[in-house]
Amino acid sequence: MSGILTRNCVATVIIQQLFNGLALGMAYALIAVGYSLVFGILRLINFSHGAVYAFSAHIALLFVGLNFGIIPAIILSIVLTGILGVLIDKTALEPLRMNNSIPMASLITTIGMSNIIQNLLMIFFNTERKSFPAFFDFGMIKFGSVQVNSTQVVMFVVSLILLVFLTLIINKTKLGLAMRATEQNSKAASLMGINTNFVISATFFLGGASAAIAGVLISGYYQIVYPGMGFMVGLKAFAAAVLGGIGVLYGSVVGGLVVGVSESYAATFMGSSYRDSVAFIILILVLIIRPTGLFGKKDIKKV
Amino acid sequence: MKRKLSIILTLAMVMGTFAGCAGKTSGTSSQSGGKASGTIKIAVAGPMTGDNAEYGKGFVNAANMMVEQWNAKDGVLGKKIEVVPYDDKNSGEEAASIAQKIVSDKDIIGVIGHFASGVSMAAAPTYQENKVIEISPSASHPDYSGMGTYIFRNNTVINVEAAAGLDMAINDLGKKNIGIISIKTDWGTSTSAIVKKLVTEKASTGVKVVAHEEVMEGSDDYSPAITKLNAAGADVVICVGMYNLVAPVSKQYKQVNPNIAVVGFSNAYSQQLLDLGGKAVEGLRFPVIFFSGSENPKVKTYVDEYKKRFGSTPSALTSQAYDSVGILLEAIKTAGTTDRAKVRDAVAAIKYDGVTGNTVFNEKRDVQKSFVKVTVKDGKFVEIK
Repeated sequence: MSGILTRNCVATVIIQQLFNGLALGMAYALIAVGYSLVFGILRLINFSHGAVYAFSAHIALLFVGLNFGIIPAIILSIVLTGILGVLIDKTALEPLRMNNSIPMASLITTIGMSNIIQNLLMIFFNTERKSFPAFFDFGMIKFGSVQVNSTQVVMFVVSLILLVFLTLIINKTKLGLAMRATEQNSKAASLMGINTNFVISATFFLGGASAAIAGVLISGYYQIVYPGMGFMVGLKAFAAAVLGGIGVLYGSVVGGLVVGVSESYAATFMGSSYRDSVAFIILILVLIIRPTGLFGKKDIKKV
Repeated sequence: MKRKLSIILTLAMVMGTFAGCAGKTSGTSSQSGGKASGTIKIAVAGPMTGDNAEYGKGFVNAANMMVEQWNAKDGVLGKKIEVVPYDDKNSGEEAASIAQKIVSDKDIIGVIGHFASGVSMAAAPTYQENKVIEISPSASHPDYSGMGTYIFRNNTVINVEAAAGLDMAINDLGKKNIGIISIKTDWGTSTSAIVKKLVTEKASTGVKVVAHEEVMEGSDDYSPAITKLNAAGADVVICVGMYNLVAPVSKQYKQVNPNIAVVGFSNAYSQQLLDLGGKAVEGLRFPVIFFSGSENPKVKTYVDEYKKRFGSTPSALTSQAYDSVGILLEAIKTAGTTDRAKVRDAVAAIKYDGVTGNTVFNEKRDVQKSFVKVTVKDGKFVEIK
């Protein structure tokens, strides 16, 4: 397929695809962080996260449609999606925790929640693909023969800032301290006077909000929104989270970037039909070679 | 951990299969149980939910409109006509089981549908075997109508359409470096092969295919393919796909290269293309058989009526579905019986003057129609004279 391309072209394509992959990878990282945050505290993989991401994009689209302006629409979407995250925990997961149910019950519950959210989106917004405004497109930026899409630069930078911000919250604030304490031992933390239920809610809020930012960024990049959009992206972000070591924030970033870039290269050199499988091939390899992921902690027992 | 994760992944896959099941069935069917003898039934099969739902719903709307006109004149052979919609979700497996349902209902004379070529071809053997007439208003795969004597196509074969599209790219737009983006389906792959073959035949004029990328339908991100096409120096992109490919490709390509010309196929002709594509589809060109902005009074009345009832302009495929229903009813009337073999012969011999021009089936049960060149200008479809 690349036989038609000249050598110079190939170099350009390789660099260009790197940018395509990095931008996408950062957005995956933002979603992966949501998996990581929740996993860190509850030892639970929250499979409703992909649907939460789709929800955020639809909410942003709704408010853009109501002429709120793009920035207020995004802020509303972030807040509402964060609240949705909290609601998922309060309505579906907290009762299970109170009853000391087996972990598998919570896991299946999150899958159920994912279907509920996705179907509600189908009912209220229809199944068709809808156009999303390209609100951060400032044309192309040229570096010699390499052109970089400003959209991709914005995606990368915004995601990076947010990830740094999240890391600061966790490492430098009181809430972050409480989160880390709950992560290590929730019973001990609650004995020390930490309101663990509040901490868990805050974690779900942060996870939802970061998914919302990723949702808005990716929708602005592809300019397409539909209820099923979160499924594949959610699974890929999950692969990214596992790759980096689930529960470790910077691991999610590295995992996201690896998945994004390898996906981009797979699409170039192996054909577009392989792009979706690459993330999962990586996931399987990681699970075989290094089950805890690249930066994962060894002592995870509860899963 | 390893084992747990494998369980988790399995669950996630299972979840994926369920995700597609939801959605609501819509379409205004004029049904009420239906007594065995009093009515003649026509099945309309197509995607009523999911990505291509617009097309399936269009088929049902068109069929209902045509049938109501006939019913207002006492139906056909003194019997009322009933439209029975079936949702095949644009999937071959679903279509095969729907075909079984359809052939088991003895009142159904014929089927209008299915939508995609691959899906139509999955269902066609069942219809042929049970002698049920299938008229697809949309299938354009060259092999479709060859599947049996009861299998008709009221849509132009893709070779003819590909030549028309290529003509626009080469002669009207004056482009020589052709890039192709095609969806990886039966139809997409064979159509892009046809386009390539046609370009090779014109190689003496300096026209060449600089790159061809196959993409997964509905993958949202086409930037890897676009990057390759752009690096190969394409100055026109032929988009082999529906509106849900053409709109995002136009948008994403124009971010990289605002001067790129895009040529589509008639199945991009849909209101959704304008909604989804916005400014990026300005200047997009494609050939169609039916153009709703036409001045022809017959077409105008039909378009106005459709707009009044369903609030949108009928697409080419919807209009072909409208004519297909007319053809089937006219054939029943000519045959004077509901015996499917006789109706089939009448369909094969028909000369039907409908909104998509004169329809005559050739010996391959295909139609030959002339093309209208259409472009998008100021957010509207405009005929190129």
